[in-house]
Amino acid sequence: MKCAAGIEVRQVDEMAINIDPIQAGGRLTADAMKAVIAYGDGYSVCDNCRKPNRLDYISKPPIAEFHRDVASWLNMDAARMVPGARRGFQAVAHTYVHKGDPVLLTSLSHYTEFLAVEESGGIAREIPANEQKLVTPDATAQKIEEVIRDSGKPPVIAFIDHVDYQYGNMHDIKGIAKVAHQYDIPVLYNGAYTVGILPVNGKDLGVDFVVGSAHKSMASPAPSGVLATTAEHAGEVFRTTAITGDVTNRKFGIKEPEMMGCTLMGVTLVGMMASFPHVKERVKHFDRELENHRIVTEALHSVEGTKILSEYPRKHTMTRVDTIASFDKVAETHKKRGFYFSSALEEKGVTGLIPGVTKVWKFNTYGTSRKQAEYLARAFMEIARENGLPVS
Amino acid sequence: MVILLSKRAVDMAFQALYTLTDIRVILRETAPVHELDEKQRAQAERLLENLERQVASLKQEMLK
Repeated sequence: MKCAAGIEVRQVDEMAINIDPIQAGGRLTADAMKAVIAYGDGYSVCDNCRKPNRLDYISKPPIAEFHRDVASWLNMDAARMVPGARRGFQAVAHTYVHKGDPVLLTSLSHYTEFLAVEESGGIAREIPANEQKLVTPDATAQKIEEVIRDSGKPPVIAFIDHVDYQYGNMHDIKGIAKVAHQYDIPVLYNGAYTVGILPVNGKDLGVDFVVGSAHKSMASPAPSGVLATTAEHAGEVFRTTAITGDVTNRKFGIKEPEMMGCTLMGVTLVGMMASFPHVKERVKHFDRELENHRIVTEALHSVEGTKILSEYPRKHTMTRVDTIASFDKVAETHKKRGFYFSSALEEKGVTGLIPGVTKVWKFNTYGTSRKQAEYLARAFMEIARENGLPVS
Repeated sequence: MVILLSKRAVDMAFQALYTLTDIRVILRETAPVHELDEKQRAQAERLLENLERQVASLKQEMLK
């Protein structure tokens, strides 16, 4: 079935349980789907744009109110919607990082944080994760001291992931922020895997910027995200334009250079807004998600030889597993080689695993119902048994 | 001559799409076997009835 010439209808989530690690939290709510139907046209949210002609001032649909609500929900003072978390990193890096400045990242940071630093001419200095793949306040202090010794100045900013994309581990961001502030280093909280998934309180965590990915974790169309900050920093990162054309003498009102004027127009923004009431509610029930996740990780654990590489017990629904001594053993002799695993899962109506992968892989159960989690757990155990792997 | 469709026809077109969206969500929530429990079954029944009504109104408005 096609939705347009050469474009297949996407029915992934209607036909299967999707455990793709990056897709789970971005699945649209029914309200977001409905908003997408109504606001698909390009400049659809601009019907009632009036002076001062900036997206976050539009009151119909209630975009201005939404901006205030998001800031308040994150317990920050100001927020802007951005085309993905990466554009939030970019705006902050572009404001605070100059050529040759050291910037604190971690050994588990996402590549887009590195690119944001690179684009501003900064130097990446990574806080190493420990053996448990956790980034700690102590390691942060050591790294800052090392940077000061090497470059004669502390890092200009720290980009810290609360839950990292590699292991889905939860790092002590509050402790890390406390250490960074002792050196007057502002902290950007990367909440790509948390904002919209579990409660996030920026001021309680003591961070200066909160960045979230709406298409990853706020049930929104891509690309969408949020950058929120404190009153102290809002005037810097959300500064308004000062440029004037030398021929026309034109000025550009209150447009913000880091936001390139208006940011999320049309369907992405309205999708975010439509999902927001549901997102606010769902973060209060993250314990249910963890319980469903536990059912699946325990099933995987019961397949002899399988190791959970992420911290355990799990604090997040995205987990990295090592199946070298279990499912990968089967791949050595199976006629489909490594493809047998994803193929067997597909046959059972489970999707999201990279085809051919049997050694180390990630999955995310966020948004599955209890019934679906139990189905998933059974599917893994059945595939193991069908292929002669011992299940305890 | 421009033929203007009624506001009701436009509303019905959107309402039918929204009803179908709610049905789509049930399909997502019950994937992969689409085995509906009692509550989901009742919800699906109500949605399909609404859809029939909406399509009938749309037909009436557009083809009058």
